[in-house]
This record gives sequence, C-alpha cells and structure tokens, in this order.
Amino acid sequence: MKLGAYALTLALVAGAAQAQAPETLAWLRKMQDAAQKLSYTGTFVYQNAGRSETSRITRFVEAGGDIEKLEVMDGVPREIVRTKDTVRCYLPGARLVKVDRRTERGFPALLPERIAAVARNYDISLGETRRIAGYDCQAVVLTPKDNLRYGYRLYADHASGMLLRAVTFDTNGEQIEQFMFTQLSIGGVTRDMVKSRHASRSWRVEDAEAAPARLAGWGLSSELPGFHKVVELKRRLSDSRPAAQMVYSDGLAAVSVFIESLEGRPEPVRPGLASMGAIHMYTREVANHVVTVVGEAPAASVQRIANAVEYRRP
Amino acid sequence: MKDRISALMDGELDDRSASELIGNLAHGSENAEAWRAYHLIRDAMRGTAPLSADFSARVTWKLADEPTVLAPRQARPGRSAESPRWFTLSAVAASFAAVALVGWLAFAPQHPVPAPVVAKAPAPVEKPAIVPMPSSANDYLLAHQGFSPRVSLQGMAPYVLTVSEHPAEARK
Repeated sequence: MKLGAYALTLALVAGAAQAQAPETLAWLRKMQDAAQKLSYTGTFVYQNAGRSETSRITRFVEAGGDIEKLEVMDGVPREIVRTKDTVRCYLPGARLVKVDRRTERGFPALLPERIAAVARNYDISLGETRRIAGYDCQAVVLTPKDNLRYGYRLYADHASGMLLRAVTFDTNGEQIEQFMFTQLSIGGVTRDMVKSRHASRSWRVEDAEAAPARLAGWGLSSELPGFHKVVELKRRLSDSRPAAQMVYSDGLAAVSVFIESLEGRPEPVRPGLASMGAIHMYTREVANHVVTVVGEAPAASVQRIANAVEYRRP
Repeated sequence: MKDRISALMDGELDDRSASELIGNLAHGSENAEAWRAYHLIRDAMRGTAPLSADFSARVTWKLADEPTVLAPRQARPGRSAESPRWFTLSAVAASFAAVALVGWLAFAPQHPVPAPVVAKAPAPVEKPAIVPMPSSANDYLLAHQGFSPRVSLQGMAPYVLTVSEHPAEARK
C-alpha cells in the first residue's frame, strides 16, 4: 500500500514535470516521513543577516497524534506547542496564550500533488554530504526555476532522514536565512517534555477562530506564476480584529494575503515593505481595507501579489 | 467636423448623426486622433483620471474594439445641476489646447497596442517604501505558518519567527 502511494507519487511527478531523478524525490519523501514519525529533542539556531536566535524543539510521537514544543532560549521564554490541529503560543511577558486551530484539515504535508508542484517550480538535485551536529547528512537542493521564489538547501541525516539544517538562498545564491540544529537526540522523549512550562490558567486567551470561508469580491487580478490559491478563510487577529486570509502556494513556499477593514484600527496604516530573513510583509490600502501580504518569497513576489489584490463588487 | 466630435462628447448629437460619426471615428482617421486628444483634454481639465503613458493607445484600442462603450449619452434639452457641462471650449479653443498636449502625446505609443500583450507583460515593480515590521507582525506570521508546506519538511522550526521580539526592526 505504502509502496503503491510512493509509486503513484513518482508517476504523478514524472507526468507533471520534467523528469527529476527519483532518488532526489525519494529524499524529500524520506525527510517528510522523518518529520512526521520521529520523536526527538534538540537545540537549533535560526539566523538571518540581522540576528540569530537559539531555540529548543522537542517532538513526542504517539498513536493518537504527536505533540511538538518549541521554546525560545534567548530573552523572554516564549513557547509554542503544536498538536495535531492546534497551535498555542505562550507569551509570558503579556500573560497571553494565542490559539490557532485547524478546522478543515491538518497541517500541510507534501502530498503527491504538492511534490509535483514543487518539481514544476524547482529543480531538485542532490548536493554535498556534510556532518552536522554529529550526523552524516545529505544535502538536497531545490533551485528555483525563476526569480519569483527562493531556493532551499536541505541537509538530512543519511540514516533517519531527519532534517538538520535548512538554508534559504536567493537567485544569486546568497544565503537569506538558515535553521540549523547544533545538538539533536532522536528518541527518548516523554510526554512531560512537550508540556508547556507555564502555569497559564489565569492568562488571557486569544483564539483566532479560523474557519474556511468564501470571500466574496476579493481576489487577485492575476496570480503570480506557479502560485495557486490553496485556501481562503476568516479569522481573528490580535485584539479580535476580524480578518480574511487567502493563501497562495507554489508547493513549497506560501504567501498569505490578509484583508482587514480600515475602521477601528488602533494605529495608522504604514504602506510599504518590511522584511525579516526570508519573510517579507507588504502593506497597502485597497477599497477602504488594509491588505497585508506575508510570505517566505522574494520581496518583489510579495509586492506583486499585493499589487494584484483587488475588490470587485460581487 | 471638430464641432461634431465636440458635440458627440457632450451628448448633443441625435442618434443617427452620432452613429454615423462613431462609424467614422472607428475606422481611424485624423478625426479619431482629435477624438483621442479631446478626451485627453477633458481628463486633464477634470483632473480626475491620471493620464497614464498608454492612455491614448488604450482609448484607440477600445474605440476599435468596443464602440458601444463610447456611445454618447441621450441628448437632453436641459442639463441637471449634477451633470455640469464639462466641455465648454469651442472647437477652435480645443484645437489650441490639443496643441498644448502634443508634448504628452509624444510620450504615448502612436499605434494601438494589442491589449493582451499589455496584460501579460510583467508589471514593473516599483521600489517600495521600507517600513518597520507592523506591531501585529507575529499574528500575521502565526496565521501564515500553518499553511506553509515547508513546515512539513522543517517541522516547527519556522514557527520561531512567530514569537519573535523584532528588536532590530522595531528600532528602524
């Protein structure tokens, strides 16, 4: 059965895109399996040009699903705990828990059709082998076929497929950001290790109340090549501000479009571009609404999507 | 002839003369050129629509493709207050104004550009204003990360950004 699904993946990919070497696609599959099936705990560093931040990730897998916890080691001890369908952010500074639920389906996986999309937009090849945090790793390189997306160099453990380092690079090959484990132990995780350390019973809770919705009138005048709409929904942002969200993806990167009413905004809108590593955020006003486009794509791509957002009276 | 074009734009021609003139304009001639120039003048005088670089090309193209779009209003004996007469220039004065506009027209493409080509050309992306991260950046990121397929490969690591303190960005 599993073999069948795997063969189907390859068949789909071969049919949909130029031939990518089966072994490279097998590596993507192996990484995804590892990300879903392994229990582990480790310390990783996030780096971009402006800063670096150390965090600890612990993942506990059991039959009923899995729980994953991320703790920021520097500064205020913020925590994120993710279960099968919910993400909780614990922010001790504000004594606040932010809750984001998945109602329609679980978190995105690299399903066969997604791998086909990835193969359409990126050249996938095997790169160097390198030892990272004590593990012998194989690099899988996803080189974008155009300048609308970033490239990725993913280093996975030969034995388990566990991803130890992920480098994002631009079309010039310049590194934009990276995530890298500096220490990792696979297995030996207990349930207690993924519980929040915070006694948050008296904290304020902000629930995004995200729910799928059809957004009448809003859309893009033209989609960015390779990016297709994967979902549209309604949700709440901080202070319960209602917002609409549309997500566009090329199979690997994603860009979200948020639409909020201008009325009752706590602060004036500042149109323009903000950046943090590979994430770009572009804000503009459209039809008496604030449109904020957020995604791990080059600034020009985020800006092009933002400029294409339009409202047509339904 | 210029009087009649002016009258057509004011909606002062009867149906028969109007359709005759429109037919004439649609076949492209110096009259069509005048029609284009008069619209440029009108927009400039109203100060409403900005004159884009391909304005005249688009007008010409629309004229050839969809003459009905440019059909005049029904002629009315009296004008209501809310539709003021926008174009009170005599045809002669309009001609002078048209000369003044030659500078603008020189920048416009002289031949109609097929619209689909215009639509497909990648829009030039202007240089954006650089702003600090919005105060609700973490909320946007939290809402966004859940839909990013890279999470399926990288696990939660990218989520570290959603609880970031943005110290550097806040100071900019």
